[in-house]
Amino acid sequence: MTGFLETMFSPGSADMILTIGTIVVKIAILIGIVLLHVAYAPYFERKVIGHMQVRMGPMRVGPHGLLQPIADGLKLFFKEDIIPAQADKSIFYISPVICLFTAMSTLAVIPIFGGFVIANINIGILFVLAMSSLGAYGIVMSGWSSNSKYAFLGGLRSSAQVISYEIAMGLSLVGVIIMSGSLNLTDIVAAQEAYPLKSFIIPQIIGFFVFCVAAMAETNRTPFDLPEAESELVAGYFTEYSGMRFALFFLAEYIGMLLMCAIAAICFLGGWNGPFEVPYIPFFWLLVKVYAFMFIYYWVRATVPRYRYDQLMSLGWKLMIPLALFNVVLTGTIKMLR
Amino acid sequence: MTFKYLVKTVFLTEILKAMALTFKAFISKPVTRQYPEEPREAMPGFRGMHALVRDSSTGREKCIACGLCGAICPARCIHIYSDEDEDGRKFAKRYELDLLRCIYCSLCVEACPVGAIAMTEHYEYSDYSRDAFYMTKEKLLANWDKYMSGKKGQEYFKKFYHPLADDFAEYEGQALFRGKAAERTRDAA
Repeated sequence: MTGFLETMFSPGSADMILTIGTIVVKIAILIGIVLLHVAYAPYFERKVIGHMQVRMGPMRVGPHGLLQPIADGLKLFFKEDIIPAQADKSIFYISPVICLFTAMSTLAVIPIFGGFVIANINIGILFVLAMSSLGAYGIVMSGWSSNSKYAFLGGLRSSAQVISYEIAMGLSLVGVIIMSGSLNLTDIVAAQEAYPLKSFIIPQIIGFFVFCVAAMAETNRTPFDLPEAESELVAGYFTEYSGMRFALFFLAEYIGMLLMCAIAAICFLGGWNGPFEVPYIPFFWLLVKVYAFMFIYYWVRATVPRYRYDQLMSLGWKLMIPLALFNVVLTGTIKMLR
Repeated sequence: MTFKYLVKTVFLTEILKAMALTFKAFISKPVTRQYPEEPREAMPGFRGMHALVRDSSTGREKCIACGLCGAICPARCIHIYSDEDEDGRKFAKRYELDLLRCIYCSLCVEACPVGAIAMTEHYEYSDYSRDAFYMTKEKLLANWDKYMSGKKGQEYFKKFYHPLADDFAEYEGQALFRGKAAERTRDAA
């Protein structure tokens, strides 16, 4: 304690306070932007899917339904928080927090543009993978603690699915790591500048494909939404949740989607580098890529029906993992020969 | 496993085709009708709320209280109480129609020998009480003034009024339908 106080009031402490201050401000900005995004991502999704089904999506709250997310948020906030009598209360309370915590902490290592990253750590990708695996704990625990068969089945499916696709996703990123020679996301973007289109999309096309599929499975999106398959499991692992706790899961899911889109944009599409510089908006191209990815997510959701459970597993183990392994071997061999 | 099948599986051609389809739907115009703002125009001949025809020459209802509409009504929702006026003419003292029982078959319109009842294109009626759906003579006449007055009412009877009485033949041994169906039966016999 004294040591801490001494450093606080030593001559260099002004710098330290400044550094901490900058980080706090950065976190506030990022969280603000992400929460705003997460509020409007479902609106975007409902609009896209609505138009794909030749209808309009939300139109009633505000002009073109623009205030719909706010209305939804208010509704969730004031809803009764119901906890099943037979639920394992402490785990029931903590699991949505785990989901949200893992999703949010991953944001720390995502570089938005050149100098803007909260934690520029050397193991960025590893951290992302670790956190997305930890997020599965929240799902499994919520499924178990709800003491409901639907939630339980949802949790089981989720754990099986996340384990299968985690491998494919990790392996698909190995190609990128080999090519850039770094686990740091900022370095990965820098390494891509030398390649055509300023991205790894051409040399890593297989990895990109595997990553896209695995990302959809990781975030429990259609066609891999078995953990929350509404036609069979009501809502899957969060069936018993309501009000704000449900909102936390919702938030975690959408932040997870945003993260997967950001990782894909950073690792495969060249991050914030674009065909030309946009003045004053250094994150312009990253934003464009992330939204394009989001659109593809919604597009696939509007198109492809849910996989059967055994199809999901066989796709993961028999196609995605071998493909990713082949990609690793191919990339490694080329890297060795050059 | 043919080469074609392999290409199909590896490049997910089916899924890409499906995605092209959904994208086409995405850029097409939605078919949604924003209902209260863009109400649907009823098709001509739509069978909405009833109206009793007001005779423009007398200013009174055309109805002669013959009771044929009430007799043919399969839902038994028309109740007529007739009376005699000063000139000794029969008229409907009370003409009541329970809209909540009505099945909107428009048989009453067809049964009427004088074309005294019509069905308007008005369909947006809802209320908190049942009383609002119990139509009296005054309400039904007001419907005519509101929805069918002028040219519209005349057009309606020109286009959609086909009295059942037209289908009956003059007495000729036995009653036969006079319409095309009747001609066929007669030819067959």
